[in-house]
Amino acid sequence: MSGSALLVVLLAIPLAGAVATWFLKPPAVLHGITAISHAAVLVVALVLLGMLLTGSAPHAFDNLLRLDPLGGLVLLIVAVVGFTSAIYSIGYLQHEVTHGAVKANELRRYYALLHVFVLTMLMSAVSGNLGVLWTAIAGTTIASAPLVDFYGSRDPLEAAWKYIVLTTAGSMIALFGFLVLYQAGVHALGESYDFSFPVLAGVASKLPAATAFTAFLLVLVGFGAKAGLAPMHTWLPDAHSQAPSPICALLSGVELNCAMLGIFRVFALTAPAAGVGRLRLALVLFGLFSLLVAVAFLISQRDFKRLLAYSSIEHMGLIALGVGIGAPLAVFGAMLQMLNHALAKSLMFFTTGNLLLRFRTRAIAEVGGLVRTMPATAVLAIVGGLAIAGAPPFSLFVSEFSIVAGAARSNQVVAASITALLLVIGFIAIVAPFNRMSFSTPPEDGAATARVNRIVLIPAYLSLLGVVVLGVWVPGPLHDLLAGAAQLVSP
Amino acid sequence: MLAAIAAATFVQSSRLHLLLLAISSFVIKGIVIPVVLRRQVRATVFDKRETHYYVGFPTALLIGMGLSIAGFVSANQLAITKDLLGQPVSGVAISVILIGFFIAVARSDAVMQLTGLLVAENGLLLLGLVMSAGLGLLVDFALLLDVLVGAVVMGFLIARMNTTIMSTDTGELTRLRG
Repeated sequence: MSGSALLVVLLAIPLAGAVATWFLKPPAVLHGITAISHAAVLVVALVLLGMLLTGSAPHAFDNLLRLDPLGGLVLLIVAVVGFTSAIYSIGYLQHEVTHGAVKANELRRYYALLHVFVLTMLMSAVSGNLGVLWTAIAGTTIASAPLVDFYGSRDPLEAAWKYIVLTTAGSMIALFGFLVLYQAGVHALGESYDFSFPVLAGVASKLPAATAFTAFLLVLVGFGAKAGLAPMHTWLPDAHSQAPSPICALLSGVELNCAMLGIFRVFALTAPAAGVGRLRLALVLFGLFSLLVAVAFLISQRDFKRLLAYSSIEHMGLIALGVGIGAPLAVFGAMLQMLNHALAKSLMFFTTGNLLLRFRTRAIAEVGGLVRTMPATAVLAIVGGLAIAGAPPFSLFVSEFSIVAGAARSNQVVAASITALLLVIGFIAIVAPFNRMSFSTPPEDGAATARVNRIVLIPAYLSLLGVVVLGVWVPGPLHDLLAGAAQLVSP
Repeated sequence: MLAAIAAATFVQSSRLHLLLLAISSFVIKGIVIPVVLRRQVRATVFDKRETHYYVGFPTALLIGMGLSIAGFVSANQLAITKDLLGQPVSGVAISVILIGFFIAVARSDAVMQLTGLLVAENGLLLLGLVMSAGLGLLVDFALLLDVLVGAVVMGFLIARMNTTIMSTDTGELTRLRG
């Protein structure tokens, strides 16, 4: 099949899945459709990536859809984490239905929205036109807000409202930025032109500097709100702690990366005209501030899902920082960090999801003795905790070290040392709670008896495998993809 | 008005897709969204006297005036477009965006916050029209669809808020911190 047809198939699968799950009722059928559709998306995505790496960039509809290495990286993330989250959803929801926390007739709403959510994220990865990119990224919020509110009590509702209002406002500011960018292009391309990446990239150095700079800042602030960069992050810990665990994995691991993709696209288009230096400085400042805020809140955190949410802000800050530093090593590290963050963070949300299913609490102090009560999950908690904190030999160590080393080598010593210090403090703040939960004495009350089924362990161990393998070995094709993506964000 | 300006731009540049855009934005923003939101919100205890605000009424008026001036000034600064219709309209558009965001932050009632965001969105679409005469037919329709679905989802959440906390005042939703 040709590349353009495959792009259409890629988007058609989740769409068909959404329609099918909305109209069908039996839980077994819903689970089956979800597993099959996400597996199919993964296969199609891998074929598309293969085409991309062998030199024929797939595109369709006059570049409305287009795959390049940067989009390809996000596509890989969406497809992989989408698949593991779909499998996890099945085990998670089976457990919830058996224990009466979720009614069986609510499953179809969950699965239909899940498919739409994945569809919008896939679309942002393969968009070749800035209008399509904006629509897709803004669409991720709309599709996922009802999922944040899935449990339907007071706190999830508060989280969902905060989430949709703040990120929609952010998306609008980004749209303002996109319009200003379009206006910048008018000088070079005439009144009406194709608002796609290749067209704009061709005239990127001819855009008026002030207009391009304004456009970038608006998009950075707007999509920064969606990517969880401080100080626009305030919705994130709420939404990421209140949503059902498989949705958290997608929100945290994938959706944030999609928003980052939006920022980097505009960065690459505006940097040649507006001056690479000041654009990078803006990214570095937002990155460092996000790190600082995240670490400050990590230290005193008593809720393990909020802990992970702040760790996401830390990782997004690092990614912005890596691209902002601009040294080849740091930018490559930032691209690797996007993938690693997605794998490790989804792994940890799967793990804490298991804790939640069993203990029915998010308080770190009320969970204990995992090594004896849930040995399989305890391994994930200990090893995964080390992984997201950035210990060697896991993959996040490699990417975080690359970012810091890149900064140090390009003589940005201040940024490098602040980052290293914050990473060390963050490391302790993340690892300590997971060790305490694993090795302390188990709580005595008999409430914690709900056994967790086997399905929820499979996706977690798959993600763990990825984090371990990427820590010691980046396969050749993946390296090419990351290098291609890094080149696109180093104008 | 948005539709009228789209139509005026169509007359000026005589491009067919602007006429389609004028009609569809009138239908979606003028008819569909108000009707759907009315149905969703009618059942709630939304207080029509709008008592849930953070900024007093006279102050709000003054701030609104200030924002309008800021809008026109920044439109001149950006020098968005040189044609006769575009210059004043882009000033109006930026003012509308700023005032929309102001409404969203100054009121604590969810219905008013949604209204503020919709106002800002109108300003953006207006700005998009005068700046670029649309981003291409498909893209413009995708944008409109986004607005429509977004408004409906927010309306759904407001209705849920009403049944869960018996109010649409977001000032009562302050449990999640830290």
